[in-house]
Amino acid sequence: MSSAAADLMELLFNHPARFLASLFPALLAAVLVVVANLPISFTGGLLPPPVLALAAVYFWTLVRPDLMPPVIVLGIGLLEDLLSGGPPGLWAAGFVAAYALTDRERETFAGMIGPGALMSFAAVMLLAGATAYVVACVVYLRLAPLPPLIVESISTVLFYPLVVKCLRWVHVRVVGPMRSGQ
Amino acid sequence: MAVFGWRWTRGRGAKQASLFLCGLSAVVIAFLGRAEASIFDSARAKISDWTQPALGQVRTPFMAVERWFENAGSIFTLYRENMQLRQENAELRKWQNVALSLESKMRRYESLLKAVPDPKLPSVTARVIGEVSRPFAKTMILNAGLRQQVQKGQAVIDDRGLLGRIYVSGERTSWVILLTDLNSRVPVVIESSHRRAILTGDNTPAPKLELDVGDAPVKAGDRVLSTGDGGLLPPDIPVGVVIQEGTDLRVSLFARPGTTDFVNVMSYGIPEPPPAADPVPANSGVVVAGAKETVSPATIADGLTPRPTSVGSTMPLQSKNPAEPRFDGQNEEQDR
Repeated sequence: MSSAAADLMELLFNHPARFLASLFPALLAAVLVVVANLPISFTGGLLPPPVLALAAVYFWTLVRPDLMPPVIVLGIGLLEDLLSGGPPGLWAAGFVAAYALTDRERETFAGMIGPGALMSFAAVMLLAGATAYVVACVVYLRLAPLPPLIVESISTVLFYPLVVKCLRWVHVRVVGPMRSGQ
Repeated sequence: MAVFGWRWTRGRGAKQASLFLCGLSAVVIAFLGRAEASIFDSARAKISDWTQPALGQVRTPFMAVERWFENAGSIFTLYRENMQLRQENAELRKWQNVALSLESKMRRYESLLKAVPDPKLPSVTARVIGEVSRPFAKTMILNAGLRQQVQKGQAVIDDRGLLGRIYVSGERTSWVILLTDLNSRVPVVIESSHRRAILTGDNTPAPKLELDVGDAPVKAGDRVLSTGDGGLLPPDIPVGVVIQEGTDLRVSLFARPGTTDFVNVMSYGIPEPPPAADPVPANSGVVVAGAKETVSPATIADGLTPRPTSVGSTMPLQSKNPAEPRFDGQNEEQDR
């Protein structure tokens, strides 16, 4: 058994609350994937829904990168592909690219507030969307139309403050106390 | 892991390798999904089967609210709409008379020629329990699957025309790839010129029309129908009308996925060849495939017609427009 697995088992048996707290970021991101992909359209199918899970990936990568490893990001991206009905791997690649940028520029992004924070997330969303678009074009050997992707990206950025507000509450009220054993 | 001096992450060693592997896996999955779609499709079908009861329950109130908002605006234009509808109705009544007269003439000709009528297609009526409209996917989820004999490749139509075809079929649910989806390719025919074309979805509301070889003119306003080419879709299902966008020919679709609650899934295959017939007498004049002279068209039709095998109820494929003929061949059967 590898040391990571042994650590995990130790955490599960000796500190179940901490173990549960460490699952929270991934679970919340999965919930956001499900919510965003509820097959209901308020606009008669005219506007695509936002990619809410990307906001969760971005937030936890900035706040608690230890709880959002790349493999979890890949899993969340695949879940997004699976539930969105689209070709597999596109958003998975987009999420991993977004994760790489967020992790690399963590100090810069974490220091942003207000419109700056929104612009940072917009840059990450742009990279995720561009990666998914390029992979789609390469795999399917044709150009996908850009406007729906742009609309989806804009709506995701607009939803970001709301999602982050909820995630911050969970971080401060739930994950933080559970991790510190309170 | 550094490439040309650029590092993937701030972290080192295991984290960088893990990130690189995850990125590579995503790209490999994207290619694998193209080549071996069945792995992902079966997972998708299982998820939709599992969540089917919830999806149906969740969608109903949302659809009611959406309809209410849609209709709220029309209160102020009721009078004008009413006048338009009256005018349209008067126009349609004229067309109805023309259609009835042509239908009667057609039946007489068919009877004289002992023509084999089109086989009646078995169909399943299914409720739409979900819609997905994303940049890389335009799909719909139905509450009928393999248990209701809904299978991959079958055509899906609403009361106006062709919507798409089934691409994933689970036990109790199925996924429809809409004509507008990036991956949709459907053979069609231009009604007026009989020119063949491929309808290519590109995630825009009006898919592209890629004309086949031939020089028959195609102009805006021509009706587009499905063809039975390749045994993929039933022939003669209305698809839409040709529109010109710059140099491109596109099709404005009749079907409206956003407002559809119930759809028909049509089972279609290339009809079985009829049993070998006795030699037709030389003086019979008309040669009809597989038919003896004494056999009535109705009997021939019975022999060819697959029996409806649907578990769900069958929906008559009558257009809302009374002047438009049905496109499932039901008129012929009922009139006999």
